[in-house]
Amino acid sequence: MNAVLYDVALTAYIVATGSFLVYLVGRREGFWRFGALMTQAGWVCHTVALVVRGIELGRPPLLTLPEAVSVVIWAAVLLELWAERQYRVKVLGAFVLPVVLILGLALPTGLRALVLGSGIRSAWIWIHVVLALLGLGALVLNFAGAVMYVLQERQLKARRPGAVYYRLPPLETLDRLTYRALTLGFPCLTAGLLLGALWGSAAVGRSLTFDPLTILSVVMWIVYAMTLSGRAVGAWRGRRAAYFAILGFCALLLSLGAGALFQGRHGA
Amino acid sequence: MPSLFVSGMNHLTAPVGVREQLALEEERIREILVDLYRRGLFAEVMILLTCNRVEVYGVAEAPGEARQAAWGRLGAPRGLSLGDIEPLVYTKTEEEAVRHAFRVASSLDSMLVGEPQILGQVKEAFALAQSASTVGPLLHSLMAQAFGVAKAVRTETEVGRHAVSVSFAAVELGRKIFEGLDGISVLLVGAGEMAELAARHLVEHGARAVHVTNRTWSRAEELARHLGGTAVPFDELYPVMATVDIVITSTAASAPIIRAADVERALRARRARPLFFVDIGVPRNVEPAVNDLDNAFCYDIDDLRAVVESNLRERQREAQRAEALVAREVERFAARRRDLEVVPTIVSLKDKLETLRRAELDKALGRLPHADDETRRVMEALSQAIVNKILHAPVVKLRDSSRAGHGHRFTELISELFGLRGAGPSRERP
Repeated sequence: MNAVLYDVALTAYIVATGSFLVYLVGRREGFWRFGALMTQAGWVCHTVALVVRGIELGRPPLLTLPEAVSVVIWAAVLLELWAERQYRVKVLGAFVLPVVLILGLALPTGLRALVLGSGIRSAWIWIHVVLALLGLGALVLNFAGAVMYVLQERQLKARRPGAVYYRLPPLETLDRLTYRALTLGFPCLTAGLLLGALWGSAAVGRSLTFDPLTILSVVMWIVYAMTLSGRAVGAWRGRRAAYFAILGFCALLLSLGAGALFQGRHGA
Repeated sequence: MPSLFVSGMNHLTAPVGVREQLALEEERIREILVDLYRRGLFAEVMILLTCNRVEVYGVAEAPGEARQAAWGRLGAPRGLSLGDIEPLVYTKTEEEAVRHAFRVASSLDSMLVGEPQILGQVKEAFALAQSASTVGPLLHSLMAQAFGVAKAVRTETEVGRHAVSVSFAAVELGRKIFEGLDGISVLLVGAGEMAELAARHLVEHGARAVHVTNRTWSRAEELARHLGGTAVPFDELYPVMATVDIVITSTAASAPIIRAADVERALRARRARPLFFVDIGVPRNVEPAVNDLDNAFCYDIDDLRAVVESNLRERQREAQRAEALVAREVERFAARRRDLEVVPTIVSLKDKLETLRRAELDKALGRLPHADDETRRVMEALSQAIVNKILHAPVVKLRDSSRAGHGHRFTELISELFGLRGAGPSRERP
């Protein structure tokens, strides 16, 4: 039942992605409306699928890699729907949903499932995982906004308007959007990682473990921390912040990939 | 049946020397409208006058005659004969006239495609003809739909969205860098006309705080007064630059007066907030290297022209989408008109049967003085049902035939069969 629902949701996301891309190219309002509708419908199915899965398992569906990815894209789609309205950036879907699809379709298949042993569960782990995953969802948005920023900035610097110029929103809007996504995602991620470390030390007796997921998570955290503090100091805005957002997201994807390929603490 | 036509000349068919001689003031146009209408040549008429076109929209039994009379009247005040005018005039009838009206109102036929004034001018022309009582149902529905089409073209395509003048291109670029122009501040260096115009546009679109600087203090003060801004001494250029968002330069200096190294310092003080240079000076006032600095964007006059050209191409592309929209609307207008052709017949057929039913029902009830409410209700319903059943087939047939384009055949036939007086298109023009 929930597998069917999840497939329906993914299909809706695929249709929405196509529709958004057509809107991006052709700028026909109807395609955007249809894409938005499919996204909302997909998200509702997705939510129900997660709930049903949770009831079936008798625990939140967060512990295997496919489950985690599913929650990340759930959060990303939710934030996309919100940001699209908040910032009136109708082309946002065309940049966020492809990432969602790549995560949703490519990552779980062919990769080993991560399952936490029943012995190392505690209340903390749920908070650790939920916060980390929500943070990752926001960072998907941060990445999409940064890609749009870089494209528009290059176009404006080139001083010869082309397709990008007409289709993408103003630089400042994109800068604000990426920054907001980061301020939303980073604290969640930090709290999530911190809880993970604390819980790890409590459960295992060591405060740091050196499996690849942990290391890459820390690298990713440092990249995002630099972006945020650079911005707070005042120097890092616009293009530099956007490049770092893209870099951070690459580290994020690597961590997810590494987490799937190597089995460390987070493995079975 | 009277036909719809438009006869006119525009910037492509007639030289301005002729068009300007036909540019009459509103009162004269009103007189001409009333005169043409009174002489019975036109069933409906309106005249559209802009700097780029003179057009007569009319409904007439004899369009050729009506058209000649109209041009004769329009040319007379300046001594233009029909022979002078006729070769410059195009005439379109029926569906092509409808298409033309929609294209004109949507600014697809304009010299500058997508310019916004034309719709207002068409509305004024229509209002004038309305106040002269020379428009009837056909021009009325044509214009009402034309205004709707123009609105749809405006909102559903981007035909009028992108700037097509250099000074407006600066505004548009500002909007692509900053999130709207509300509260944006501007620094104007020098006093070129185009630079002043760009600054004015920016203020109209929400920019506040205009600073003006000039090597000649009095000139700076004067321009600042003009723009409602403040004059700034020339040697405070860089401190001010650190606080504004858009810098417009237009000085006669022979070498760049704004250097990349200085801008870099100003940018640092701005905490990396973007800074947009609009350099209208020739030779350029801003060092080209400024554009390579992070968060600085510098457009010189050639860049602005390139933006305008690209925008024009964009308008052309959007115009093609608008043409498709117009084509759909022309089809809808034709369908509605065909429907109108049979509506009077349907109405009188229904009236006729309803009158018969009422009369026969009253007669029958008169014979049944003791009938209770129930009986009366049943008889009422019975008569109604019979009438509806009889009406159904002919009404459907009429509607179908009108859609197929030969409604008149059935309107005549049905009027004849049911003895409808004065029904059909001749009684009430669509």
